[in-house]
Amino acid sequence: MDHRGRRVDFLAEGLRRALALIVGGDRELYGSAALTLRVAVAATGVACALGIPAGFALAGRRFWGRRVALVVVNTALAVPTVVLGLVVYGLLSRRGPLGTIDWLYTWQAIVVGDVLLALPIAVALSAAAVEGVDPRIRRTALTLGAGRWRTAWTVAREARFALAAVVTAAFGRVIAEVGAAMIVGGNIRGETRTLTTGVALFTAQGDFGTALALGAVLLALALFVNLALQALQGHGRD
Amino acid sequence: MAVIELRDVRHDYGDRTVLELPSFTLAAGDRVAIVGHNGSGKSTLLRLLALLETPATGVVLVRGRPVTGSRARRAARRRITLVEQRPVLFRGTVRDNLAYGLRARGVRGLALDRAVVATAERIGVTTLLMRRRSELSDGEIQRVAVARALATEPELLLLDEPASSADRAAVTALHAALESARRDWQVGICLASHQLEDAYRWADDIRALADGRLSPVTPENLFRATLPAAASGNVRQVDVGGVTLAVMTDRTGPAILAVPPTDILVSTAPIASSARNALAGRVTRVARVRPDGGVHVTADVGVELTAVVTEDAVRELALAPGRTVVLSFKASAVRVF
Repeated sequence: MDHRGRRVDFLAEGLRRALALIVGGDRELYGSAALTLRVAVAATGVACALGIPAGFALAGRRFWGRRVALVVVNTALAVPTVVLGLVVYGLLSRRGPLGTIDWLYTWQAIVVGDVLLALPIAVALSAAAVEGVDPRIRRTALTLGAGRWRTAWTVAREARFALAAVVTAAFGRVIAEVGAAMIVGGNIRGETRTLTTGVALFTAQGDFGTALALGAVLLALALFVNLALQALQGHGRD
Repeated sequence: MAVIELRDVRHDYGDRTVLELPSFTLAAGDRVAIVGHNGSGKSTLLRLLALLETPATGVVLVRGRPVTGSRARRAARRRITLVEQRPVLFRGTVRDNLAYGLRARGVRGLALDRAVVATAERIGVTTLLMRRRSELSDGEIQRVAVARALATEPELLLLDEPASSADRAAVTALHAALESARRDWQVGICLASHQLEDAYRWADDIRALADGRLSPVTPENLFRATLPAAASGNVRQVDVGGVTLAVMTDRTGPAILAVPPTDILVSTAPIASSARNALAGRVTRVARVRPDGGVHVTADVGVELTAVVTEDAVRELALAPGRTVVLSFKASAVRVF
């Protein structure tokens, strides 16, 4: 057989194996998918719960140090995931400052890393979303007697599409993440092996079919969540 | 007691001072109009009065108490509501918008429904209640915004150019609605307008703003000028947009000049008098807008000048658009501030 024939066989064999795993309901594959979804939802939830109010504060008020805070947030957007993984590893390792909670090589450790990755996205994009809202909305809410929270809620309703995009972007960052998850999760089979760390491992082992199956499920998951978020965005009239 | 009082207030945007007011007071039941050209500081003044901005220096008192801190500002905002020049509606129906301020005050259930319906009827927006902002014209948005502000029964309603996006009939309807609100709970109304005739129609106290300062005399005949050094004595020849006025002042540099309309003499031919200013031109407008019955005669003498004359004078001199007239006033009649 020539080289070209072998290459086609390699691909076809990979696809066949991937299909078999997906259709056959492989436990390890779907276990990884469930873990990936759990980690991504938890990390996105925490990052948005912390980041969106921080974005509101950054956008809405002129306070001392605001410019510095914006620079820090924008710089944090570009932090490599492996570097962040190293930092979280240092914090959670037995000799680290948070070693006593014993989270290293657990799915919670991956959530911590992912939260730190998604947080700058949530802060920066929600600040931009709030700054994009017509300033008359905030002034009108205030002049009608609304308090701080009602005013923030009114502004958030106006920025709902942009805020939904914040959630989508944070989720996208988290679900595609591999470096930090590998370092702080340890890629332990059945416990901390997410779809992305699985793809990295199986590719390195030459098990192209399993890696392909994991990748396909990852894509399907991302597609499903994005469609769900888009459906939510489209819900409700102006 | 005044609902709001500004004392020695100055407001800056960057290095530029946009407002400088030694004193400005509004009381319940007042009908005040602030007039001035675009950029004269009207909208800034309204935002200060609405407690949406804090002055760089000076004190704001609401019901006699200085407003300091966010809690006091929030409490004060529940007494004073602003409708902006181009108001925005919130997401939701017109009904949701009318209920907004009431909900912020904890009004719920039947009381909320009743207040919304009553306000909608007062402003004539009942048929719009279930519409959304994208289904409304600019004029309708303006009316809904006024209704939304009135629904909270404020002590003071601030309106920025309320006639800007409404036709004449809508303006009349709005005026009637505001009058009924004044009768019902003595709401004080303060509006900003760049049109003096609108101001006369809406208000009985007209305050003119020019370059962020209140005119001490009149809202008409305001000119921005640079005062040169006097050649002799205190009378200066001051250029105001192509016309030279004799002005008695000891000041030099940038200033606002005001010629009180009641100090201008209208004649159909030049007259020998002590008046150092005698400007010939043609009448452009004759308007009966003053509550005291005086008639505004505006003539183009190189710039537009308005004089107040009696109805008899209009008849005897046959004052009508196109008529040639001479406007005379003394150098000492020109106020400088």
